[in-house]
Amino acid sequence: MVVASAPEAPSAPEALLHVKDVSKAFPGVKALDRVTLDVRPGRVHGIVGENGAGKSTLMKILSGVYEKDSGEIVFEGNVIDKITPVQSMNMGLSIIYQELNLVNTMTVGENIFLGRFSESGGRAGVHAKAKALLKSIGSKVSTYRQVSELSVSDKQMVEIAKALSFDSKLIIMDEPSSSLTADEMEKLVQIIHDLKSKGIAIIYISHKLDEIFGFCDVVTVMRDGRVIATRDVSSITRNEMISMMVGRTIENEFPPRPDCAGETILEIKNINTRKLKDVKLTLRKGEILGLVGLVGSGRTELVRALFGADKVAKKSIYLEGRPVKISSPMDAIRLGLAMVPEDRKLQGLLLGFSVEQNISLAVLARLTEYGFINTKEEAAVGDRQIKALNVRTPSAKTKIRTLSGGNQQKAILGRWLEMSPKVLVLDEPTKGVDVGAKYEIYLLMKKIVEAGGAIILISSELPEVLNMSNRVNTICEGRINGEFDPVTASADEIMAKAFEFA
Amino acid sequence: MSAATQPVGRRVSPRAAGDFLKNNPIYVAIALLVIVTSVVEPKFLTLNNFDNIVRQFGVLIFAALGMTFVIMAGFLDLSIGGIISLVAVVTVTLIDPIGQGPAILVGLAVGLACGLLNSILIVASGALTQAESLFITFGMSLVYGAVALMYVQGVTQFLTYSESDISIFEALNSGQIGFLSVATVVFLVCLAILAVIEKRTYMGRSVVLTGGNKVAARLAGIPISRTIVMIYAISGLLSAIGAIVLISRVTLADPTMGTPYMTQAILAVVVGGTALIGGRGSVLWTVAGAFLLILLNNCLNLLGVSSYVQFMIWGVVLIAVIWLDAVKETRVSG
Amino acid sequence: MNTRQLNLNSRIRSSSRTVLGLQKAFLAILLVVLAMAVFNLIPETRNNFFSEANFINILKSASIFLILAMGETVVLIAGGVDLSIGGMMAFSGVVVILLMNAGVPIPVAIALTLLMGVAVGAVNAFISVYQRAEPFIITLGMGIVLTGAAQQLTNARSVSSTLPDFQLIANTQILGWVPILVVVMLAVLAVTYWMLRSTSFGRNVYAVGGDYEVAKYSGINVRRTKAATYLICGLTAALGGVMLASQLNSASSIAGENTALYVVCAVVVGGTSVAGGVGGAIKSTIGLLLLGLLTNAFNQLRIDSLVSYLSTALLGIIIVSILWLDSYGRKRRREAV
Repeated sequence: MVVASAPEAPSAPEALLHVKDVSKAFPGVKALDRVTLDVRPGRVHGIVGENGAGKSTLMKILSGVYEKDSGEIVFEGNVIDKITPVQSMNMGLSIIYQELNLVNTMTVGENIFLGRFSESGGRAGVHAKAKALLKSIGSKVSTYRQVSELSVSDKQMVEIAKALSFDSKLIIMDEPSSSLTADEMEKLVQIIHDLKSKGIAIIYISHKLDEIFGFCDVVTVMRDGRVIATRDVSSITRNEMISMMVGRTIENEFPPRPDCAGETILEIKNINTRKLKDVKLTLRKGEILGLVGLVGSGRTELVRALFGADKVAKKSIYLEGRPVKISSPMDAIRLGLAMVPEDRKLQGLLLGFSVEQNISLAVLARLTEYGFINTKEEAAVGDRQIKALNVRTPSAKTKIRTLSGGNQQKAILGRWLEMSPKVLVLDEPTKGVDVGAKYEIYLLMKKIVEAGGAIILISSELPEVLNMSNRVNTICEGRINGEFDPVTASADEIMAKAFEFA
Repeated sequence: MSAATQPVGRRVSPRAAGDFLKNNPIYVAIALLVIVTSVVEPKFLTLNNFDNIVRQFGVLIFAALGMTFVIMAGFLDLSIGGIISLVAVVTVTLIDPIGQGPAILVGLAVGLACGLLNSILIVASGALTQAESLFITFGMSLVYGAVALMYVQGVTQFLTYSESDISIFEALNSGQIGFLSVATVVFLVCLAILAVIEKRTYMGRSVVLTGGNKVAARLAGIPISRTIVMIYAISGLLSAIGAIVLISRVTLADPTMGTPYMTQAILAVVVGGTALIGGRGSVLWTVAGAFLLILLNNCLNLLGVSSYVQFMIWGVVLIAVIWLDAVKETRVSG
Repeated sequence: MNTRQLNLNSRIRSSSRTVLGLQKAFLAILLVVLAMAVFNLIPETRNNFFSEANFINILKSASIFLILAMGETVVLIAGGVDLSIGGMMAFSGVVVILLMNAGVPIPVAIALTLLMGVAVGAVNAFISVYQRAEPFIITLGMGIVLTGAAQQLTNARSVSSTLPDFQLIANTQILGWVPILVVVMLAVLAVTYWMLRSTSFGRNVYAVGGDYEVAKYSGINVRRTKAATYLICGLTAALGGVMLASQLNSASSIAGENTALYVVCAVVVGGTSVAGGVGGAIKSTIGLLLLGLLTNAFNQLRIDSLVSYLSTALLGIIIVSILWLDSYGRKRRREAV
């Protein structure tokens, strides 16, 4: 597909922000590939794309958190080269991150004027000015409240007020709606309209199409670090946008879909937690079940609850027809469950340990006799999995820290494969993994189910779920709300269901 | 990241050995100190002197061994000073009523119980950070120390046995097994057991895994709570052994005698190269750390440096070791 | 670097430390006072707890610790820790007396000693902030160095001032009954309170400890701010040492034993978080007063000789319970379903 056509869009106001051919690479991944973008004052510019499309990277470059590798950025006629986050705010470019950028232990007022206490007239000045700012966007939050006590929506208001305190001309909102209720969302839309009427430009990052069609003027679709197209919202249809987002699959990106589903192996009759409501789920032997939902929909909470990683209020699980009690990951592992967690660095890897020790982790109890670890057997396990999974490492004793993301992930998979799990949960197994390793991971998944295992696959990459799974469940606001056959169902149908809001 | 190569006892290439020395300057320092001291004092390099060292620094070495596991798992135990004091007074006062052997057993049991109590408090409160364990064990050290004071009403107890001589303690202090003193043998046995636990057992692996990444270890089925209980129990027990070696040498028990050993034990562990944040370390490193301190002490003694300046130098060594580690880390991570 | 720092990786927050809207430590103080009032109603246990002399006594004995606690509070709020204050206190006491005994005029001696405190704080700051070494161990080591230096200077014996004027600094009573020591303590408290609450620097300290990255992205010079807290802590520790020396008219190298951990515990019991970002001068004062009151109350009761030891045990139990409850509360919140 051709890169970035200039928008035929309104020529009226001069572009406030001009991004031209900006590229950025991280080790193993090309995060941005010659991205070009124009943002005009008084307009809401939507940017859509799946996770990993490069939206967040672009924003971090704009706000000075990352440095670009090449290309040009012009803001208000000034070429921006190296810039710190503070300079970018002072220039009038503010960003409201997904993971909000506030000091939780401090008050609302002080967060708005963080680092500008004296300049803003001390305690009294800060709170008075903050109150005025919040009032201007219709928020009634007390400026004396501690940020940690606020709802996500109120925190967002504080962020917006903070952006306004810098006289921002451009405000970037990174998936602001991901944890807002419908009411709160309405309030946000109102504020966006107000900001627009003041001539402030807004970049609105989202993957919810309703929002793009609801209040954006222009939309840019990104995929795989590239701009696919920039259009007026009025001149694009929903289906067009979805097909641009999802894109066509490259030949051989996925191995043939496994087909070996047998009888039911796992049945979740009921899981209830703060985030999950009466979740029911069945999984068959030899099946890959795709679980599609937005970040925060409860998909990760569901598998963590299943695995005994979090405490749950009510839970009734049947494995191979028998009721089982899982109150810790240890229980789950003993029963033959395995989980590759979402956050590889924090929850999966022991960075300071060798590849071999990372692999042997889940079967360590099996390798132990009278309390002693059979190190010969352990080395054999390590070698076997390194070979079987084609983990590229100088040796089994190498620290896993030094491996690439894809090889780290394969090692973690090896950890679980060694115990031949009955049920394997994969939470974003290909996040931050390069294309080649991705394919190998898909092949592995196929092998696992063909050997009689069953897989629950959570992924933000829809093509992955569509091409690999035998069945797809959508999860939305803590409920399983749909079931699809990925062979016949279209990506649009499934996405529409996963984006469904009550 | 220092200590890229662990001294696991496998064959090492010369290059790996070079890297090892570069990453663990402590062994170079020990070698230098041994050479300097041997030149100044030829009698230094004798088994007799080695025995002396173990006897003289017995408590420090034992307490440091126990502390190593605690620190490797990413926690801290500040209560060992209180435990040492408590075990010392309990053991000495029980000799007359119940005899030497039983008194020693009760003493060891008290140490173990204190360690278990620490671990129960930590596990039950759900304390997961080093800071939380630090405060809880500091509070408990006050408690153990005060119990020791109350138990003997603040009075120093002398090591006596009205029915016969204090044979077991004398043996511990000056007895010989072959060419080694009993204290040294006890030390070597403890070291061997702990080293085997650390290198070969599931328990030992759980300790480093817990220190490496508690969340990931738990998700992979490692029993974190059981590990916490074990490390504090070992720390309490080893402190108790150290206390008994100590009273056999000084032939008295003072309810505040344990106080200085908490800092010294941490010092030996950290100087040895065990990472304070957990996940990396070894009791063997700690022995090296303790010996570096002791050699330094010996060396400075021979050079006629005052004991106060020696104390200062310990502090300087501690700062230098951690500082070098930080500088290296910054260079690696850029 | 996040993993390196003891305090940063433990996201301890103590927002819900209150019972009935009152701070736990403050509530505990009320309990102690109430218990003493009840004891005073019973003839056998009547005592002087509520006398004016005892009140001054409590203030005086808390004063030195309080001066130290103010600096420690600032360091803890910024997300650091300083365990060298015990050694610093002993060392500066020795230094000020030896300087005066060597003929240096009193004001100059005091000024030099305070300057020395700041300099030591600067070393702590350089190694732990700019070189990113673990502050817990660095300052522990610094404490050992300072204690050793004090021992060397005094041969581990107590040294007395030869100038009669020196002890007047702490012990002169103004308004008839308030010793200057208490006035100095109140002044340090007031300045710390004002600095933390109402100056740019003070607010930046909270921001740095609350969220280092956010503070950095907000344009706060995070390293300079954090480093400054160690300088302040060195200053207050030196001041504490000078005041202690003046109060006793002598100084000894053993003065600082266990002081650092006691002060850190008192500050934390008062409600300042070891993870940084939370705390304050008043909170620390309450924490310190609680521990001071407890010790005093037990000494007053004097039921038998066991009591002074029992008070230490109780101190430990109080520290453990308050911090245990904190951890437990966090666990409950973590696992809420």
